Amino acid sequence: MSATLAPYLDAVKSTLQAALCLEQFSSQVVERHDKPEVEVQTSKELLMTPVVVARNKLERVLIEPSVNSVRISLAIKQSDDIERILAHKFTRFMCQRADNFVILRRKPIEGYDISFLITNVHTSSMYKHKLVDFLIHFMQEIDKEISDMKLALNARARVSAEEFLKRFN
Amino acid sequence: MILLEQNNQIISEILEQKFSNVKEGGQPDKVNVNFCDFDGVYYLLSNPNGDKSKIRLSIALKFFKELQQHGADTLLQREYGSLLVTPEPQFNVTLEFDLNAIPNDYSEILRKASMLKRNCFASVFEKYFEFQEAGQEGQKRAVINYREDETMYIEAKPDRVTVIFSTLFKDPDDVIIGKVFLQEFREGRKASQTAPSVLYSLGEPPMELRDQPGARVGDNVGYITFILFPRHTNKKTRDNTIDLIHTFRDYLHYHIKCSKGYLHSRMRAKTSDFLKVLNRARPEVKMEKKTFSGRTFLAS
Amino acid sequence: MSGCPVQHWDLGVGPINCHAWNKDRSQIAVSTSDCEIYIFEWTKGSWVNIHVLKEHDFPVTGIDWAPNSNRIVSCSQDKNAYVWTFEGNQWKPELVFIRLSRAATCVKWSPLENKFAVGSGSKLVAICYYEKENNWWIAKHIKKPIKSTVKCIDWHPDNVLIAIGSCDLKARVFSAYIKEVDEKPSPNPWGSKMPLGTLLCEQAVKGWVNHISFSPSGCRLAWVAHDASIGFIDANVDNNTAQIVRTPNLPFTSIKWITENSAIAGGHDCYPTLVTVKDGKLVIVCKLDIPAAEKSKVSNTALELFKSIDKRSALEHANIKLNTMHQNFITEIQPHSGSSQNILKFSTCSVDGQVALWDLKNNTAVIH
Repeated sequence: MSATLAPYLDAVKSTLQAALCLEQFSSQVVERHDKPEVEVQTSKELLMTPVVVARNKLERVLIEPSVNSVRISLAIKQSDDIERILAHKFTRFMCQRADNFVILRRKPIEGYDISFLITNVHTSSMYKHKLVDFLIHFMQEIDKEISDMKLALNARARVSAEEFLKRFN
Repeated sequence: MILLEQNNQIISEILEQKFSNVKEGGQPDKVNVNFCDFDGVYYLLSNPNGDKSKIRLSIALKFFKELQQHGADTLLQREYGSLLVTPEPQFNVTLEFDLNAIPNDYSEILRKASMLKRNCFASVFEKYFEFQEAGQEGQKRAVINYREDETMYIEAKPDRVTVIFSTLFKDPDDVIIGKVFLQEFREGRKASQTAPSVLYSLGEPPMELRDQPGARVGDNVGYITFILFPRHTNKKTRDNTIDLIHTFRDYLHYHIKCSKGYLHSRMRAKTSDFLKVLNRARPEVKMEKKTFSGRTFLAS
Repeated sequence: MSGCPVQHWDLGVGPINCHAWNKDRSQIAVSTSDCEIYIFEWTKGSWVNIHVLKEHDFPVTGIDWAPNSNRIVSCSQDKNAYVWTFEGNQWKPELVFIRLSRAATCVKWSPLENKFAVGSGSKLVAICYYEKENNWWIAKHIKKPIKSTVKCIDWHPDNVLIAIGSCDLKARVFSAYIKEVDEKPSPNPWGSKMPLGTLLCEQAVKGWVNHISFSPSGCRLAWVAHDASIGFIDANVDNNTAQIVRTPNLPFTSIKWITENSAIAGGHDCYPTLVTVKDGKLVIVCKLDIPAAEKSKVSNTALELFKSIDKRSALEHANIKLNTMHQNFITEIQPHSGSSQNILKFSTCSVDGQVALWDLKNNTAVIH
């Protein structure tokens, strides 16, 4: 783990722990509805100030808390075209499976690669600290997986090019 | 399978089976098989006019006319000789095998038959290899539109033959993955000194083709240049060179597709892994369920 | 001394939003995140569900059980409130003519049990009382100057004043004087003139006010807000200046005075915290907690092991539980035994489905 990763993840973790204090809250705008306030954005006083935790220009997390829901958006490190398409493919792949990933938002917030939406329903049926652990795990693993995939792609390209060219004599 | 085969497996398997059947004294049976190959090539194996003792192999290539301009007919005549018959309608070349006249060792015939597509291609390479060997310069560049939207250019210089492929990446992601591959092809000469040198350009044609009408430009177009030296074009090695180079485009795209498949399966695995980590947040809820017979069991 | 004897029960009905005890504490009413109210009775060493009150068609948000008149009032996201009376062997609901246009969020009987207050997402508080002429519970509204959903209410012991915490970042004290049912109130430190809806005190808070509570004498007011702070006013000293104690904890959701000088706060940290007033200042004393109950059994059968690997890719679920007794945040604190000036036991309910009873009898940290 590099020197800046640990404090970055710690900052995200603490922010999430505080942001995930969610309660049941019935809409004060639409009667008999219970909607994630962070998504409907109809009552300003029910939203908290969004927080961006950034490790560098490329890697950052946007945490938008509200009274009954939190939206967490990740910008995944993409230092070149390959990482960009891998990140894009990966997040799209996951979003298509958002049904299983109950906390995954189908569409990321603009400027970010993937967004999660956690509501009070999730925090009341799941362990909050484990949800935080999952998000941290996700942030760590996604970077690793993308760089591994990139290495695998390069390796395959090299082997196939060399094999082909070796046959010329 | 890292390298593609130059021959067509279906041809060799079917003919092998038919030939051996006859050799073992079996009755020849009916054949009617349609199948495809790379580059939109289309084959038909059939019996002429229902005559089961004869088998016809026909091939259709969209760009056969262009190959004919470069002596395809002569080369096919040389390779197949008496096997050649008048092409069937909608096909470009037809070979006919008389099952009663098959020699005992038919492996050579099999090999040749399955290389039919390769041999159709070979003429244009051979022609320009000859030009190079003879030191003839200034010959018109050969243009083979081997696929819709994709073209191969061949040009001879006294010291080399350049083969340029233009290829189209249908998916924008393929451009980027393709670039990784092409970079490795360019670097590949470092690993093997005997290899031809490879250059590539994306988006627009290389210098050599600037004056070429119809050379495509666009973000998803790639050009790959092979510079073949005399060591690749001389009579001893040229067959091997042709074998390899005519499959290059398919080889490249095959490996791009495989990589994407691999990445996809990796993402699938990782996604299910993430899901499991997320599941750790769910407390174990013991729910009692009743089975049909009224027994209860615990589901977690 | 931080430990305190605790009894706790998992009622098995899912996340508990609120709970209420009957007078002799032999029965408890809880509401979950669905539309029913469950009443449990303590029989032979366990809680047995004896009644399910079904009338609301949206999740119930508040219940209160009047000890002397033995009536339950409930309110829900369906904009309605019901007063339940026990007749024969059943709880009979009576709809309150409450005129809310949004969800009700909390409800509380006044100390004399002749009226009750309902907080609401309509940005108002309804003070409800029984109108004899029409045989109906009707409501008068306190609207101004509340600008957002009311989250919590608490009655002053004089049966007239009411404290309100809301999402517009204010804690307020209003008069809830209803001339039809109340005797003329006598002046007290919060003010002297008080027709219904008079704003007697308003304090700005830096977070949504999650819960608010009057001390037994009614002279002190404490509230907990979502910025993890505890606010405190002593009206005997100055009813316009609040003391804000910022804590390093997660936000509290509930606070309850247990003596004139001590209060219990609980919330997202999942354990109750004791706070006291020392020399006019509110200070945090200690947390009251017991470690989480041991896992009933270690999963060691091959089937369970494989299931766990398949579902979570984990060999065991060590460290899954929080090391607090409650496994999710505390939604409410209610007094259980003792007098209002000296509460000896209090109960907490939590989203983890548990109700816990905490014993303060021998706790020396409590200041009387």
